Amino acid sequence: MKRFFDIVLPAALRYRGKGGQVSFLLHRISGLGVLVFLTIHILDTATVYFIPELYQEAINLYRNPFFQVGEIILVFMVFFHGVNGLRLIIFDLAPAYWEARYVPRSQFWVFVISLLLWLPAAFIMGRNLLVYTILGG
Amino acid sequence: MTATELKPQVRRVPARRSFESLSWLFMRYSGILLIPLVYIHVIIQDVLVGVHKIDLDYVALRWATLGWRVYDILLLAFTFAHGVNGLRNVLLDYVSQPSKVRLVNWVLLLFWLVVTLIGAMAIVGGVTQP
Repeated sequence: MKRFFDIVLPAALRYRGKGGQVSFLLHRISGLGVLVFLTIHILDTATVYFIPELYQEAINLYRNPFFQVGEIILVFMVFFHGVNGLRLIIFDLAPAYWEARYVPRSQFWVFVISLLLWLPAAFIMGRNLLVYTILGG
Repeated sequence: MTATELKPQVRRVPARRSFESLSWLFMRYSGILLIPLVYIHVIIQDVLVGVHKIDLDYVALRWATLGWRVYDILLLAFTFAHGVNGLRNVLLDYVSQPSKVRLVNWVLLLFWLVVTLIGAMAIVGGVTQP
């Protein structure tokens, strides 16, 4: 871990890779973030079979406003990771297009498409958050 | 900017079948499959239904349909394998000693197996009424 913070982080901040570096980092961060939630999510869902009394406790945690903000961020991570992953798959299938004039353009469209998918979802989830916290359901 | 305008020369090199080359292919093929699978799951459960309408009865109702159980088994199998293999790819960017690479592989295999089995038992076993 010491090596990670000493070498990787300063290098990541110093290296000005523009869009490419941003999508590389965001792809990793979103992938790892979704994996953390996914692991917890598989285990909390498994309580319906193993310890059903505990399932409602887990759901109550997710209903906490902090978790709900996290859920809205999680949905963006899922959408971005999917759209960016599809871009990488397309380039891997057709490597002839993997060149300097297509790559930045494709990265820009990944951000646009992810945001367009996320905004309506974030609106509905944000409205639910307000309805169930301030307005009390 | 003209300096960056490099046109890569495309040539086909047959890849030797190895665990790593299959893992590389698996990330691409499972990725294609996961886009509809995960997007539909997230849009229905997180956005349209929402956590405030989800409880034990909701899960029991959903799993009363065999199709949703099969759907959830596919989700479990492909998302978690894709995720753990992704973590393996990230870790192996920082680990190069063969003995440590083997350790990472075995620990992650065990982690993947245990969590997948717990999840699969729950989906097959269904909701236990308290």
